[in-house]
Amino acid sequence: MSGREFSARIRSLTESESSRITIILDMSGEINAFAEERLNEAYSQVEERSPEIIVLNFTEVSYINSTGIALIVGMLAKARKNRQRMVVYGLSDHYQEIFQITRLADFMDIYADETSALTESKAIQKT
Amino acid sequence: MGTLISKFSLPSLPGYEREAMERVAESIEALHLPQDQVERLKTAVAEATMNAMEHGNQYQPDVLVDIEVHLEDQRLRVSICDCGGEKVIPQSKMPDLDAKLEGKQSPRGWGLFLIKNMVDEVNVSTDGEHHIVELVVHLEGGKK
Repeated sequence: MSGREFSARIRSLTESESSRITIILDMSGEINAFAEERLNEAYSQVEERSPEIIVLNFTEVSYINSTGIALIVGMLAKARKNRQRMVVYGLSDHYQEIFQITRLADFMDIYADETSALTESKAIQKT
Repeated sequence: MGTLISKFSLPSLPGYEREAMERVAESIEALHLPQDQVERLKTAVAEATMNAMEHGNQYQPDVLVDIEVHLEDQRLRVSICDCGGEKVIPQSKMPDLDAKLEGKQSPRGWGLFLIKNMVDEVNVSTDGEHHIVELVVHLEGGKK
């Protein structure tokens, strides 16, 4: 019983003036043990492009369990090691609460939508 | 004991924790609890069911996890029973995100932490053969 399968898609945005790269990782389905291989594969592709900002889009994610939290922690650890900023949007109220409880929210700014995630994270990056 | 409002069993296979949480949520629909309280209970049920399948029943599909939902006065009680007997579920260290991000602690180990933060009480007992985790939600004055 695998539930709603996980999938991920990568979108790349490059600022014309600074050539800074932002990658948006659009995820859908369930982030649990079944998602591990696909998520790691997608994240490797993100890393290959050496972005300055990584945006995780949770809008189509229906379920995150403790294993999924661990996978997100793993991605965040890699991003911090590479001095990349990681931000998120599209989390439901419940998962925003879980990001607060686990303290993920201390390390990843949470935005309501893509526009605010891109605008505000880029503004912070410039300062 | 209160009123039994739902009782079902699931095979010990990864993924069935989703069915556990959805069936518990369906069984309490008539109580019209706030959505955030329901979401927290669903997460606790899923995590406790995963623990039961993994640590109690070693993911043997034919060894079932038994789930009961009871309503008693102002308490909603969900019991999750496996065949782990007196075997103690390994207590992972208290998750420390700073340590995890620095590679000093495994990124895993969030299950019990989530369970304890999602409900008002977690009671663990055993009858020698079974291992039972009880998740209690206080319907008045509970976790907000």
